[in-house]
Amino acid sequence: MNTVINRRGVLKGAAAGAVTLIAAPAIAQATWPSRPLTMICPWGAGGGTDATARIVAQLLEKDLGQPVNVVNRTGGSGVVGHSAIATAAPDGYNIGMLTVEIAMMHHQGLTDLTPASYVPLALMNEDPPGVQVSASGPYKDIKALAEAIKAAPPGKLKASGTGQGGIWHLALIGWLVAMGLKPDHVAWVPSNGAAPAMQDLAAGGLDMVTCSVPEGRAMIDAGKAKSIAIMATERNPQFKDVPTLNETLGLHYSVGAWRGIGAPKGLPAEIAAKLTAALKKAYDSKDYKDFMNSRGFGMKFADGPGFGTFMAESDKSMASAMKAAGLAKG
Amino acid sequence: MDTVIKAFGLVFQFDVMIAIVASAFYGLTVGALPGLSATMATALLVPVTFYLSPIAAVATIITASAMAIFSGDIPGCLLRIPGTPASAAYTDEAYAMTRKGQAETALGICLWFSALGGIAGTLSLMLIAPLLAEMALSFSTYENFWLAMLGLMCSTLVARSSPIKAIAAMLLGLLITCIGIDNPGGVARFTFGSTDLLGGIEPIPALVGVFALAEVMRALTEREPPKIENRKLGSILKGQWELTKQYPKQQTRGNIVGIIIGVLPGAGADMAAWVSYAMAKRFSKTPEKFGTGHPEGLIEAGASNNASLASGWVPALLFGIPGDTITAIAIGVLYMKGLNPGPTLFTTQAESMYALYIIFILGNIIMIPFGIVMIRLASRVVGAPRSAVMPVIMVFCAVGAFATAGNNLFAVWCVAFFGLFGYAMEKNGYPVAAMVLGIVMGTMVEQSFVTSLIKSDGSVLPFFDRPVSSVLAAMTFAALLWPVFTWTRDWLKGRRVVAA
Amino acid sequence: MQLSDRITGSALAVLGASAFLYGSKLPPVPGQQVGPSAFPMVVGAGLVLCGGLIIFGIGRHFEEVAEADVVAHATAEELAPLPAWRNWLALLPPALLAFYALASETLGFLPSAAIMVLVASLAFGAKPKLAVPLAIIAPFVINLIFLKLLRVPLPGGLLPFPW
Repeated sequence: MNTVINRRGVLKGAAAGAVTLIAAPAIAQATWPSRPLTMICPWGAGGGTDATARIVAQLLEKDLGQPVNVVNRTGGSGVVGHSAIATAAPDGYNIGMLTVEIAMMHHQGLTDLTPASYVPLALMNEDPPGVQVSASGPYKDIKALAEAIKAAPPGKLKASGTGQGGIWHLALIGWLVAMGLKPDHVAWVPSNGAAPAMQDLAAGGLDMVTCSVPEGRAMIDAGKAKSIAIMATERNPQFKDVPTLNETLGLHYSVGAWRGIGAPKGLPAEIAAKLTAALKKAYDSKDYKDFMNSRGFGMKFADGPGFGTFMAESDKSMASAMKAAGLAKG
Repeated sequence: MDTVIKAFGLVFQFDVMIAIVASAFYGLTVGALPGLSATMATALLVPVTFYLSPIAAVATIITASAMAIFSGDIPGCLLRIPGTPASAAYTDEAYAMTRKGQAETALGICLWFSALGGIAGTLSLMLIAPLLAEMALSFSTYENFWLAMLGLMCSTLVARSSPIKAIAAMLLGLLITCIGIDNPGGVARFTFGSTDLLGGIEPIPALVGVFALAEVMRALTEREPPKIENRKLGSILKGQWELTKQYPKQQTRGNIVGIIIGVLPGAGADMAAWVSYAMAKRFSKTPEKFGTGHPEGLIEAGASNNASLASGWVPALLFGIPGDTITAIAIGVLYMKGLNPGPTLFTTQAESMYALYIIFILGNIIMIPFGIVMIRLASRVVGAPRSAVMPVIMVFCAVGAFATAGNNLFAVWCVAFFGLFGYAMEKNGYPVAAMVLGIVMGTMVEQSFVTSLIKSDGSVLPFFDRPVSSVLAAMTFAALLWPVFTWTRDWLKGRRVVAA
Repeated sequence: MQLSDRITGSALAVLGASAFLYGSKLPPVPGQQVGPSAFPMVVGAGLVLCGGLIIFGIGRHFEEVAEADVVAHATAEELAPLPAWRNWLALLPPALLAFYALASETLGFLPSAAIMVLVASLAFGAKPKLAVPLAIIAPFVINLIFLKLLRVPLPGGLLPFPW
């Protein structure tokens, strides 16, 4: 008899538990956030994107009162991570870092995902490419380099900064086209990121590296390399001495690698609004400013819809650059 | 002298001391869990460093990474489950010692020579950093290519199997690195339309599969081995002191090789352990003992492993170039804390630099007592019933790979696949360690070869006529031709004996 | 699982040949002398060569030395043959991992890991007295380590971690 009662009690308890479990999502909806959030970063630990993701997560955590865990889902030049963000549950507990590659990869036929496959939440950063040359090399400024490029036979000069078809490769192509040259006039040496490229520049293996200035900063500080221009509309206050292409060569060419936060499609609008507000707060915080300045990263903000338009524009300009370079499929 | 005193003042602060002790425990725990890497331990510390003073922040990174690298040897030694690709080089050796009832000695070697190696690496950082940095800068893709080739040559030396099968296993590893689009051409290869395959196969799930899961599989089909009596070995350190006196040459050579490989970007600790183990075997008077639980190779590899970890900070501190993923994370922390890498760091912030040196030395010293406690605790796993240990390991295989891959279930499928594959390889005499080496080195081989040819406009000449690359090329060919030479010599000798 | 060298060697050669063929069909990349096809082709050719050598038993005597050594160091009980069905048990761990990959999202980490530990522990011959408490405690502790120490969220599913 006793055992029967006990078993019944257990069953009752289990039923009650099941009810709470079923009810849980509904409650969660009402008092978002009620459990930890996950932020997917499509790039590896240690890089600039990872560092940015982690500081943003830290600041969001302070504001939302729930842990924000950063997970690095890497590989495939960002395809794997971006696809994980798009396919995550749109319950407000899964967000991710979107990077410029999402506006590039689908032109190469690597994925069906485009910037429109996400709910944009906020743009957090943009870095323009710089032009770095060896400190002991023959090019003392961007004019000298531009003259040398024009004078050299195609393929003679070598540049690097990222993989084949990556953002800094496109930056170089855009610049060459703006000078009226063929996209492959300077040969591209694919590298595994900016740091190895900067090292090879200092080792004398390359003529120029078109990564962002903060990525090349240590080599520049070490006196092994120098930055002679940035491909932006105005100078970066962190690196005041580096001129823009416009003021030196009269070329109106600018491009940038950007990072923002997005969520899978289907995210409830009120949660999106809350997230954007929290991200705006994080962006305006002193901690964020200090961090970005310490790394030399450029700051640029746009709210959800603004980030959406920004990505669409970026997508368009990437499409034309990649077509010109013969990198786009179809 | 004044700066040195100031530096001591910076280090011996309450918060720095707490940071060192806490991160030491953290690093030891994470490193000892199968499937979790030292890189992951370091990456997870980054948000914590936001709240710490600059010296305390860097201290946590230095201490945790050194501890985690040592601690990764523990499951390798006790259960034949290496924690890092580096310890895969000598896992079989260490496990053979465990089978002989010498688990504590084997782990003691890993601990003692790691600590000494770490201190040697730190000394190189303190005394000859500019020299090492110049050397790192003289390495271009041509030199990297030969270096990677030399690394691949080690595959035949670390296994006690047919060299042909070792090479075949290494080639399988290289073939696995072809998967995905992370190749110089940015072209999707062997992806068959899958997004996950586009990202390629990471070394960690493969490592966990071929070693850890395959070990669980083997254990299921084999009888429980007779319990090894838990011999009291006395002091772990006493035995080590004798080994230090017995093998000074191996230790020094390991330190030097580790320091050199450590400063070369792209190679790092993984390769240092492999090259040193292979060198120990090649130059040993008793190469036939290797693989049967012989301390010689462990000493040299252990000495090299942690030396490379410390010297890897040279290019990181001087040029902001990461030697491996751990220093990549460290560079980020340095920037965040206003200790911007560059030669000026050594002049304008000299006391901070000295403080870093002191932390390195301190970290390697406290590694010894902490490590001994960890070894004593972990050795009990060997005595625990297999039916309790193995299932838990299996869950760690699944979750560890899942977490390392950024919560991707694809990694769990990878572990399952590589478990089956590794089990079948091992049963048929193909050394799985050689395949892991192929997976670790594959990208470097292809990347350095393709980019070198682009830079030289298709000419192979720079592979041979640059000073450093010519030396490395000669070494590669020597390593390749040596077995042929010894075989011929033995054959001639044999004929002479017959003739006499 | 133990196959003759002829079979494994042929398998390697076939794999190498298919890698070679697949590689040869990859498109070249403009501006690169050696395209993405070279590396798979070289590796594939190497595998074909190794596979061929293995089929003909070259290098076999090294293994015989190592095997003799293992036999010399093992005890008599370890070498005694086991019933054939035990070999099939080797498939259990990969199968359990596959189960985890399929079920953990819906079931959650705690229940799926508990099932894995229970089944594996019983397969190792543990008494329920050991296996059941282990299956309850171990997943809980592992979840605690990942969530608190490493801050890696594991799938919650039906039975999320209580705090």
